[in-house]
Amino acid sequence: MRLTRHLQRAGALFLLACALIGARAHAADIVLNAPSAPQQRLVIDGAIDPRLIEPVFKAFQRTHPHVAVHYRNRTTEALFTTYLADPGRQQSADLVLSSAMAAQYLLANNGHAQSLGDAIDPNWPEDARWRNELVALSFEPIVMVLRADLLPKGTPPTGHQSLLDYLSAHAKTLDGKVVTYGPAISDTGFTFAVQDARQSPRYWSLVKALGQVHAHRTASTQAMLDGLSEGRFVLGYNLIGSYARLAAEQDPRLEVVIPDDYALVVKRLAFIPRNAPSPNMARTFLRYVTSRPAQTRIAADGLIGALHPALDQAGTAERLLRTHPHLRPIRLSPGLMTLIDPMKRDSVVSRWRSAFNAAPSTTVAPNGPPPP
Amino acid sequence: MTLAPSLFQRVTLGLLIPLLIGGIALLATAYESAERTANENLDRLLDAATRAMAEQLRWQQDRLWFDVPASALDTLAPSDSERVFYSLIGPDGTLISGNAHLPAPSNHSENAFTADTITWNGMTIRLGQRTVIPSGWTTPPRFELRVAHTLEARRALTLALFQGSALRILGLLVLASVSIVVIVRRALHPLRQLRYALRRRSSEDLAALTPPPTRELKELTGALNELLARLRAMHAEQQRFIGDASHQLRTPLSGLSAHAELALRETDPAKWRDALERLHGSSRQAARLASQLLSYTRLNHPDALEESTPLALNACAQAAVSSALTRPEVRRIDLGLDLCSPSPRIDGSEWALAEALANLLDNALHVGATHITVGTLDAPPRLWVEDNGPGIDHSLSEDLTRPFQRGTSAYPGSGLGLAIVSGIARAHRATLDFDRPEQHQGLRVTLTFKGAAHEVD
Repeated sequence: MRLTRHLQRAGALFLLACALIGARAHAADIVLNAPSAPQQRLVIDGAIDPRLIEPVFKAFQRTHPHVAVHYRNRTTEALFTTYLADPGRQQSADLVLSSAMAAQYLLANNGHAQSLGDAIDPNWPEDARWRNELVALSFEPIVMVLRADLLPKGTPPTGHQSLLDYLSAHAKTLDGKVVTYGPAISDTGFTFAVQDARQSPRYWSLVKALGQVHAHRTASTQAMLDGLSEGRFVLGYNLIGSYARLAAEQDPRLEVVIPDDYALVVKRLAFIPRNAPSPNMARTFLRYVTSRPAQTRIAADGLIGALHPALDQAGTAERLLRTHPHLRPIRLSPGLMTLIDPMKRDSVVSRWRSAFNAAPSTTVAPNGPPPP
Repeated sequence: MTLAPSLFQRVTLGLLIPLLIGGIALLATAYESAERTANENLDRLLDAATRAMAEQLRWQQDRLWFDVPASALDTLAPSDSERVFYSLIGPDGTLISGNAHLPAPSNHSENAFTADTITWNGMTIRLGQRTVIPSGWTTPPRFELRVAHTLEARRALTLALFQGSALRILGLLVLASVSIVVIVRRALHPLRQLRYALRRRSSEDLAALTPPPTRELKELTGALNELLARLRAMHAEQQRFIGDASHQLRTPLSGLSAHAELALRETDPAKWRDALERLHGSSRQAARLASQLLSYTRLNHPDALEESTPLALNACAQAAVSSALTRPEVRRIDLGLDLCSPSPRIDGSEWALAEALANLLDNALHVGATHITVGTLDAPPRLWVEDNGPGIDHSLSEDLTRPFQRGTSAYPGSGLGLAIVSGIARAHRATLDFDRPEQHQGLRVTLTFKGAAHEVD
C-alpha cells in the first residue's frame, strides 16, 4: 500500500513539525456521561478543536439525556490512516468528523462510509452532502487576522490584492512579523494553497511577497493565533475563521478580516464508518445537528456556522453568502482527492518553495516546471 | 355449459400477440442502443480525463512529476454522485500515485485508450487505461494511467435516452392495439346484425334475408337463403299434402253421408241392404286412407324404424299373401308366392314391410290385375310384387312415389301407396325399382335390401 506509506510519511513530518513549532495541544477528549438511564453510547472520532464542538454535544445531550457522548480528539492524519485500514467494530467510532476535506472525501469515495439513511434534514443544501454518505456540518471562512494596534501606519489590507500591495509597501516593517500556513508541513495549508492558486495566478506573486517578508510558516491556525496574541506576529494569512473568532472573543486586539475579493470556505465533513458499532446513534445525532433548532443554536454560538438554508441570521451560511458574495466554498467533488495525492503535493510544494524563495527580481511563472 | 370459442377473441388475440411480441423486441433493442450510446459518450469522459492527466505527467531532473489536475477527476462525476478512482502505475506494475490501486482492464492496448466494465471491491465500475510516456528530454519509461468511475451517470443517460424511444414505441403499441380491437369489432358487426335480424323474426317467417354488404357475409346469407327456400318448399309441400289428404278424405266421408241419406229415404229392406253395403265400402275406403295417412306420418317420424329385428323375407311375403287372401275381391284373382330358398334375411321392421306389401298389393288390385305374384330373391335380398295390369309409363317413375301423384295411366286409389312404400324403402336403406315383367305386360316393383343381419352398414 504505497499510498498509505506516502501519507504516513507526510503525517510523521506533520507531527514533527507540530512539536518543533510548539503548537499547543488541545488534545482533551470530551466525555459526557448520560444523566439518565438507560445508557446508550455515541462515540465520535474527530479532528476538531473540542472548544468548537463541545456546545453542540452538550445541547445534544440535553435533548437526548440517555445518551453518553464520548468524543475522541485525534489528528487528521491519524483519523485518515485508522479508517483507511477499516478498523473492526471495537475500535471504530460511530461518527468521524474532520476538517481534512480531501481525506474524508477519499474515505467515503473508497467505500469506508455507510449510508446516512434519512438522518439529514431534507432541506440540507445539495452542495453540503455527497451520495448520502458524507455530510458537511460547518461553514467556516478562511480569514486574515490583524493586530491593528501593531500594524504600520496606513490602510490595513482587506483582501488578497490589497494584502499583496500592503506587503510590498511595508516589506521592511513587516519583516518576520507575518505568519501563514506552510503547505509542506500542513495538509490544511496545502489545501488552501492549491485553492488560492486556482483562484488566480496572482497568488504566486503573493507567495513571493510573503517570502520577501520572511513570513513564518506554521502547521496550525492555533499556532498563528498564539503568536498574534503574544505580539510576535502582527498579520496572519489564511486562518480558519472559527478559531480566529474564538480567539478574538478572548483577545479583543485581534481583528478578523474576511477578504473582500474572494474568500475560501472550508466545511467540516462527517461520515458514519462502515463498522460503526451504533450507526443509528450516529444518525440520531446527525438528525439533531441538522435540525432547525440545533442549527439556530449553532448560529447563535457563532462558531462553526449554520448551514440550514431556512436560517439566515448572523452565524448562518446564508447570511455570510449574502454579505460576502465573493465567498468561494470548497466544492465536494472528486477533485478534492487530488489534494492528498503525494505527487501533486511534491509538485505544488516545490513550486511554492521556489516562489517563496525567489529573488526579488525574478517573476514567478504560474505554470511550467519548477526550476531546479 | 362451456362457452364456445369467440371469433372476436381469436382474431384480436391473433393480431395483438404478434404485435406485443414485436413491441417487446423493439423495446429491447431500443434499450440496448441507448446503453451503447451512453457508454460511448461517457467513455469519452474517461478518455479526456486520462488525456488531461497525461499532460501533467512530466519527466524532469531524472524524476517523475505528476500534478494531477482536479478538473480531470471532476469531469468523471457528471451526475455529482459517482465514486471516482485513479491510479498511476509504474513500469514495474506498482502504484505510484492515486486514490486506489485499480486493476488493468482486460482489453487494454498500448496505443489507444480502452475501457471496460468490471466488478471491483464489490462495486461495478467502468475502467479506462491509457499508456503514457511522459514528456521530457530523455526517453523515460512507460507508465499506465487508469481511471474509473461508478455507473450512475451512464445509467441515468441510458434511461433518459431509452425513455424517449420507449414512450414512442409504447404509444404506437397502444394506438395499434386500440385500433385492432375497434376495427375487428366493427368488422364483425354485420354478423351481430345478422344474428339480431334472425332472432327478431317470428317463428313462421321464412322469407329471404337481405344480405349485408361484405362478400363473406353475402355468401353466408346466400347459403342461409337457400336453406330458407328449401324450408319454404318443404312447408309448401306439407301444406299441399294436407290439402290433398283432406280432399281425399272428404270424398269417401261425403259418400258416407250421401249413401246414408239415400237409404233413409227408402223403405225397402233390400234397398237398405244395398245402401249398407255401399256405406260399408265407403267407410272401409275412408278407414284405409286414414290408416295409410297414419303410416305415412309414422314413417316420416324420426324414430320410425328404431325397432329393427332380424327378419326372414319369405315369412313376410307369406304373411302378406295370407292377409290379402281374406279380402273378398282377392277370391277371383290368382294370388301366389314365388319364394327362393333359403329365405333371405334382413334387419328390418315387420310392420313396415307388411305395410309396404299391403300397399303394393292394393295398387295391383286397383289397376285390375288378375295375376299377382309376391316373391323373394337373394344376393342381394329382394322382395318383389308383380302384376299383369296395364303397367306404367316408366318416364314418370319418379313422380309415382310422390304422395297423391298418379301415373297417367289408370291408377285409381288414394295415391299415397307408393309414397308409403318409397318411405319404407328409404328407412330400410333399400332401393325401389319399377320394371316390366319379363313375359307379359304389367308392373314389377322390387325392394332391394342391403344385406343380412350380420352385415354392418
